[in-house]
Amino acid sequence: MKSKKIFIFSLIFSSLFLITHAFAGEKRLLFHAGLGQRGALNEVKDVFEKKYPDIKVNFSYKGSGYFIADITRSKQGDLFMPGEEFYLLQAVERGFLTDYNSETDIPAYFVTVIITPKGNPKNIRTIKDFAKPGVRVGLGNPRSCAIGIWHQKTFEKAGIWDKVRSNATMSAKCIPELGNATQHRAIDGTIVWATTAVLYLRDVEIIPIEHKYRGIIRLPVGVLRFARYREEAQQLMDFILSGEGRNIFHRHAYAVNKVIPVDKQGFCLDDTTDKDMRFLVNAAKAVKNKSYPVNEKTVGPLIGEVLRQKNTKRAGD
Amino acid sequence: MKLAVTTRGRWWPALCGTITVSILASYLLLIASNWIYLGWSDTVYFFSKTRMWERFWLTVWTSTVSTFFSLLIGIPAGYALSRFRFPLRHFVASVIDLPIVVSPAVVGAFLFGITTRFPFDWISEHYGLYIGRNVYGVLLVQFTVTAAFCARLMKASFDMIPVRFESVSRSLGASPLRTFFKVVLPMAKNGIIASMIVVWARAAAEWEGLMLFVGATEGKTDIMPFAIYLDWNSGMMGWVTSMSIVCILMAVSAISAMRIIGGKSNVW
Repeated sequence: MKSKKIFIFSLIFSSLFLITHAFAGEKRLLFHAGLGQRGALNEVKDVFEKKYPDIKVNFSYKGSGYFIADITRSKQGDLFMPGEEFYLLQAVERGFLTDYNSETDIPAYFVTVIITPKGNPKNIRTIKDFAKPGVRVGLGNPRSCAIGIWHQKTFEKAGIWDKVRSNATMSAKCIPELGNATQHRAIDGTIVWATTAVLYLRDVEIIPIEHKYRGIIRLPVGVLRFARYREEAQQLMDFILSGEGRNIFHRHAYAVNKVIPVDKQGFCLDDTTDKDMRFLVNAAKAVKNKSYPVNEKTVGPLIGEVLRQKNTKRAGD
Repeated sequence: MKLAVTTRGRWWPALCGTITVSILASYLLLIASNWIYLGWSDTVYFFSKTRMWERFWLTVWTSTVSTFFSLLIGIPAGYALSRFRFPLRHFVASVIDLPIVVSPAVVGAFLFGITTRFPFDWISEHYGLYIGRNVYGVLLVQFTVTAAFCARLMKASFDMIPVRFESVSRSLGASPLRTFFKVVLPMAKNGIIASMIVVWARAAAEWEGLMLFVGATEGKTDIMPFAIYLDWNSGMMGWVTSMSIVCILMAVSAISAMRIIGGKSNVW
């Protein structure tokens, strides 16, 4: 008899618990965001929620490739910020976003950089060095990640795509795979976004790419058609596009200039991003070398990231 | 000739023993190498962070709640599958087994189907919450994946108990309900405990379905395996390694707890 009573009580208790939880509802925005933007967007969330205490932001972090299927099936969500404009355009095509403006809705950009393991064992300095025999190159799979498409574009432009492809020893499904492989010396070099490179400051060397081959990737944000809290979603989007929002992205090694001149293919035309590249290279030095000065002049906005990684041997926060 | 006779067949236990020991050694090496990679000061640093323990408790309570609901379904279902003979029994059994044999990713994808239908669309309208974007989504995925698993394990536990005891109890005038609670359940106790812990561990390890159906919200829906994946994506190897170690410790203690409580089934 006693066990029966306990059983019934626990049943009542657990259902009560679930119900009370369900009633605690505020205005919760559902934000579909690419995994790669997690660091920056978590900061955006903290600042935004402090500014607008009655709005809460719930993220649904996934790989960018998962979103179209998710949104198609569920028809849920307020904002959308995938890791490449390509995915957002897919959503526009399917009518999930109606008022996307490709001129103004870009809060940040990815910039491509070369990374090599610590010490740069194969002495890679430029794009052309990837064609040298015996260099183990990591490439992304163009079917599953945007970086793969950019690898092909970059090396084709340099006219060495066939040689690089024969040097390739891995075909990554997502960009962190390339970062981790470089960190563990499984490859001698690869090209990744600056935002990925900045996560491995202690274990990789960062080499900026010359303008001609430096890719600038647009990172858009948009409010979905079936947003439940359209006004609030718009507020958050405006915040992300504001100077304050952009600064948060800048601290995570995104380029945040309003306009970056690029050619038709998306390669950089002038020195707009040079300063950010210099900060990035210095940040890598600062984490590896204890006596390197860490201040606004040397590492610029990356100061927080540098301090975070200096804190522990294996990166955390 | 004599030598051959005395050592006849000895190689077989020796081989089995060697294989077992080498598997054990490689597992221990795996854990040790990762722990060395992390280093002592980082171990202290990450293990003392609240973020780690928040996620730990999130994992523990979600898998406990979903295990509870799985047992509510699993015990009667397992009993029915074990004892009753009804038409299309094998077909029903294979349908119930579905979530075990299909990938959890399929479960995650299919859960989208119900969340846009009655009554879930009504609930989500009425309470202003998205089913599946919060901790209930986690519970739903865990429950869906483990309920079938639970029923299957329960069936195995009930299968081990001879039907004879029930017939005797019934012949002495006890009702089927009373027989179940007074005779079958106490006898199946050890099997149920063992299955419960396996189910709990399975729920705590669920990730693929969550990735598709829920997505991660920091501190709300990212149970440990999901958090490991997230941090791997942000290059936070310190978090990845330390949380993996916590997961391993969790699994080891769950299995040891089962043995101490006295759980036993034909799987363990």
